[in-house]
Amino acid sequence: MVRVSRVLLRDARVGINKTLSEILVCPLSKQPLRVCEESGSLISDAIGVSYPVVDGIPSLVPKDGKILATDDIEKPDSDVALDSANKEYPSGTL
Amino acid sequence: MASLHFLLRPSSNPNPLALPSRSRPVRCANERQALFSRIAPVYDNLNDFLSLGQHRIWKRMAVSWSRAKRGDDVLDLCCGSGDLAFLLSERVGSDGKVIGFDFSREQLLVASSRQHLLLKACYKNIEWIEGDATKLPFSDCSFDAITMGYGLRNVLDRCKAMQEMFRVLKPGSRVSILDFNKSSKPFITSIQGWMIDNVVVPVATGYGLADEYAYLKSSVQEFLTGKELEKLALETGFSDAKHYEIGGGIMGNLVAKR
Repeated sequence: MVRVSRVLLRDARVGINKTLSEILVCPLSKQPLRVCEESGSLISDAIGVSYPVVDGIPSLVPKDGKILATDDIEKPDSDVALDSANKEYPSGTL
Repeated sequence: MASLHFLLRPSSNPNPLALPSRSRPVRCANERQALFSRIAPVYDNLNDFLSLGQHRIWKRMAVSWSRAKRGDDVLDLCCGSGDLAFLLSERVGSDGKVIGFDFSREQLLVASSRQHLLLKACYKNIEWIEGDATKLPFSDCSFDAITMGYGLRNVLDRCKAMQEMFRVLKPGSRVSILDFNKSSKPFITSIQGWMIDNVVVPVATGYGLADEYAYLKSSVQEFLTGKELEKLALETGFSDAKHYEIGGGIMGNLVAKR
């Protein structure tokens, strides 16, 4: 198999490259993250948490995650989101 | 002799930026994080000075033991200012990828600055991530190799960290964990203690970091021996684990295979 050099596309607004955003998952739910260009953050829709990207360095520290309002969450599977949220922080806080 | 990779913080200090007292153990993860952030500006220089440059050799050995090769995706946990990440980057090349991971943003900023100053083309394959070693933001079986230099001793929940390393490693791949050796030989323990008391702490005092390094001795005493590290790795699920003593026995490197 021929190895192809990876082309890393950097999203200038968020400051995170495309390949990196594809390999990262939420540290709590282990579900995929979504890049939010508007807020410059990585969103875990599974548990409704936002992680900031500062100076191009993603901050995936659970205690620094911000719980999102319901409207900001895209819902692929509400049961998964509830299960993950209840297991990690039953009080609703990080 | 000692590199300054080990810092502990007091548990009950309400001000995370205040220097810890020597009488209080450094227990809280937040305090450890603040401590590493405080020493970030002098970290590299003091590592070189105190180990007489030997830490560079130990780190090359750690990378070699990880069996990282061209094109691999590799993870350096508790990367600090990036020494191991840069070595891995040279090894995996531009077709590979290196993630440098740490809980101190200040250390990561130093690493990022070094990356931009060093200008080697292959260093473009390194990405820095701030996070918690006990809650890794990676899918299962993501990496061909993991390294951890002077980090495991500073993680509060070492079992959880080992479990996470196991989870994100590809089957058949290795983790290479370099740290101080907690020796069962009194001679080695005495040498380590003497060096910390009479070299490390006086030098650190010159940088206003005496208290940060005064815990080094207890940190090593609280760490696991080579045999205990092997046992921890096997209990975690690694198929093979071997601890090598290097640097005349004052340092050790655990190699575990998933």
